[in-house]
Amino acid sequence: MSQAWLLGQRAIREAWRTPDALIPTLFIPLFFLVVNVGQAARIFPGRTTEFLYGQGYGAFQVPASLLLASSFGMAALFLVEEIEGGYFDKLRAAPIPRTAIVVGRLIAEGTKGLFIAAAILVLAMIFGVEIASGVLGFVLLVVLTAGWAVVFAGLMQLIALKTRSAAATNSGSLIFFPLLFLTPNFVPRDLLTRPMEIAATLNPVTYVMEALRSLILQDFVWGDILPGFLVVAVVGAIALALNVRMINHYD
Amino acid sequence: MNTPSASPAVEAEGLVKHYPAKNGDIEAVRGVDLRVDAGEVFGFLGPNGAGKSTTVKMLTTLLSITAGSARVAGLDVAGEPDAVRHRIGVALQEAGLDPRQTGRELVTLQARLFGLSAPDAATRTEELLELVELEDAADRQIKGYSGGMKRRLDLASALVHRPEVLFLDEPTTGLDPASRLTVWDEVRRINERGTTVFLTTQYLEEADALCDRLAIIDDGRIVREGTPTSLKQDLRDRLALDHDPTLDDVFLDATGRTRRREAGDVQEVKA
Repeated sequence: MSQAWLLGQRAIREAWRTPDALIPTLFIPLFFLVVNVGQAARIFPGRTTEFLYGQGYGAFQVPASLLLASSFGMAALFLVEEIEGGYFDKLRAAPIPRTAIVVGRLIAEGTKGLFIAAAILVLAMIFGVEIASGVLGFVLLVVLTAGWAVVFAGLMQLIALKTRSAAATNSGSLIFFPLLFLTPNFVPRDLLTRPMEIAATLNPVTYVMEALRSLILQDFVWGDILPGFLVVAVVGAIALALNVRMINHYD
Repeated sequence: MNTPSASPAVEAEGLVKHYPAKNGDIEAVRGVDLRVDAGEVFGFLGPNGAGKSTTVKMLTTLLSITAGSARVAGLDVAGEPDAVRHRIGVALQEAGLDPRQTGRELVTLQARLFGLSAPDAATRTEELLELVELEDAADRQIKGYSGGMKRRLDLASALVHRPEVLFLDEPTTGLDPASRLTVWDEVRRINERGTTVFLTTQYLEEADALCDRLAIIDDGRIVREGTPTSLKQDLRDRLALDHDPTLDDVFLDATGRTRRREAGDVQEVKA
């Protein structure tokens, strides 16, 4: 684990020194937040819309921005750059567990996720969004978002390890990206059309979004919160196991 | 420096590597036998695609071995890969470095990954940066380094744990003549300190200048092996030449290639 942490620290330095890669992960989700609220806020006024629990539509949209911010998978692009540049082989030639190489990157992605989630939430609070679940809720929101960032990066790393190509990894993200939109993105699940409701129910991302939303709009409703954490734990464990398997068989 | 010992630093028997491909397996290495004694600088030559890098990657645990066996520093490469990694240093063809780290950070991280404590890693980093004459650039990000500086840093990072065997895969490819000579000096210095050097190169003058012994691989098979002098003498005797052949002549003879001059250029032609 200490070697994974050393590599994690290195990946954090790398992210810090690549602000041009970090800025879009903050800017694009905020852009979508402004656009989505601008388009739908008048349809769903806070005072009369039951599912907003007295807040503005912006509060309903913040989870979508949090998920978007944590679904860039930059770790995978850095990884594939390392494969193409030869540093990956340098690390593989060192007497360290193969898993440390992929876990190090995931540690960095989780750390970045913590900061980005906190930044988005603070900005949202400045513009009037309230975290109904309080300080502990804020912490859970940040942790859950960072957890999803690790899961998404883990899935993207699988593509990077399999294809060893930046172009293919970039394209591969398009496979996962639609999952973010097959969710109760604009309205709660029970207000979706039937086909969309079925798709959203089958989509694990829905449960992460609903957990985030619950923490912002309501006090602790564990029936909504726990499935989100469960999805992150289960999909994360699967992604990690596949990453480990793939790097152990890397030839 | 050539101090042969009973236990070879590198030993391969019938080493084979196949890659799966759509139209059947590609045979990159087809049964390589090698023996490199401790303390030698051993040159591994061959044309592009001959199997040099594949062989090095198998010996350094980076590629699985399809058939045959290899021992490095007395350890079985396939059976004890982690123990082998503790004993070897590797600088591959691409000078694999992380461009966003500084030279100092990269070498220190490498030392830490090899198990050195933070203070020991810092001390070792200073020693190595001095060895490769990169003290002044140590705190600059690697992306700003020249090709020669990157090669030297790669060399330094391969030495953090004082390896018994150092694998250098085309360490001077793409370097200007001055940088090449600097790398040669460093290879000699490292070898004088007792490290066995396994070097692949396409530059025959490099092999002539640095190597105690060498092997030439072509099409996945070893086609010549010996000291530069013995290989040249052998060619002279075999072809009854009236002049001393160069290592270029040995290489061309061994790989079935010849040269012809066309419009002022020397062109390599497969026989």
